[in-house]
Amino acid sequence: MEQYLNMGIKDVISRFPAAGDLLNRFNIGCVPCTVGTCLLKDIVDIHSLSVEDEKELFTGLGEIIHPGEKIVPPKIERKQAAKSGGNTYSPPVKSLVDEHKLIKRLVALIPAIADRADPSTADGFQVISDSVGFIRSYADKFHHAKEEDILFKYFDEGTDIIKVMHEDHANARGHVKAVLEGLEKKDKAITSYNLKKYGEILTEHIKKEDEVLYPWMDRNLTTREVGEMFSKFIAIDNDFADEAKKYEAMIQTLEKNFKNQGD
Amino acid sequence: MECPGSKTMVLDKNDSGNESTGSIKSQLSQWPIQLHLISPTAPYYQGADVLLTADCVAYALGGFHQDYLKGKSIAIACPKLDEGQDVYIEKITSWIDDAKINTLTVMIMQVPCCMGLQQVAMQALKKSTRKIPVKLTVVGLKGDILSEEWITV
Ligand SMILES: [Fe+2]
Ligand SMILES: [Fe+2]
Repeated sequence: MEQYLNMGIKDVISRFPAAGDLLNRFNIGCVPCTVGTCLLKDIVDIHSLSVEDEKELFTGLGEIIHPGEKIVPPKIERKQAAKSGGNTYSPPVKSLVDEHKLIKRLVALIPAIADRADPSTADGFQVISDSVGFIRSYADKFHHAKEEDILFKYFDEGTDIIKVMHEDHANARGHVKAVLEGLEKKDKAITSYNLKKYGEILTEHIKKEDEVLYPWMDRNLTTREVGEMFSKFIAIDNDFADEAKKYEAMIQTLEKNFKNQGD
Repeated sequence: MECPGSKTMVLDKNDSGNESTGSIKSQLSQWPIQLHLISPTAPYYQGADVLLTADCVAYALGGFHQDYLKGKSIAIACPKLDEGQDVYIEKITSWIDDAKINTLTVMIMQVPCCMGLQQVAMQALKKSTRKIPVKLTVVGLKGDILSEEWITV
């Protein structure tokens, strides 16, 4: 069993598919994870499993990996014991979670926009370029830059979970670029396909950040780092305040036109 | 009903915690520490991570110096007995606005009257023009951490 602890979770799942179902039962979403290179031994810390859940999970994995043998579940070293109840985000991380809410409002409209907005019409062109404008400015230049230039820098960026996040950002940017190309060619097939892909990536990505990455980071940030990050974010927020207001209003208008209609 | 903050209790000490031997290094890096005595703009508060603890906390927490005081500046106060707590609000406001402290960690005991210290801190935070992260840590009578969370105004 020990040899599998240092194996990427995705490899473990591909060799032992039943392990994927077991992990899902503990809300460890490594099966849909885009890269899923986290090591098996790291998930206990990253997902903040309780001692009981850790024991149950590894006993179950032992039965899957070595059926019929009596396996003593390995004891995983972790930086600190999972704190009970301490599930509140630190203030700077909470501000990132709040930004996700506005991004999710746009992502929720993407299926309707992708189906109905035709870039060969003036209206359709405008709606798609507004959406892409929001994505590039608010979601990427403002929000993802806070993550990449500030938050992630407090951690070892070679950590698999952070590599996965960078990869998600890069994939999302690729689809945004493709939407712009589709817009230029006034090709609805291209804009629709790439908008939808962007929405799928961001939905999973935000869920991973809110539920796994951010809580893990918060457990490892020092008080000093939380304070520093808070004041850096406030400075960025102040510079971006007018634009943020503009985008909030824009999302409201898009919601009026695309929410609960058409599909 | 007797006030839970001053109810007499004998605490059970036969659980197996770590008992350190030898002399333990102090993490205190300033003087004075009582909130009435300190100047909020003293050099050791500038840009600091500040600990505001109720008087009883350091006696209840076995690892106070190493686990909580280390790397921080401190002031202590008793929200139940101290007079002139308006001055406390002024001083905490001055920490935030003048000394531009980085964070504030308020540590209190679990007894209800200790919540007063949190309220003093929150009033100061509302008055101040800068905003900073504030953490509240509640310590049990047996020296256990009952809760530790960031609070929002
Ligand atoms: Fe992200
Ligand atoms: Fe994010």
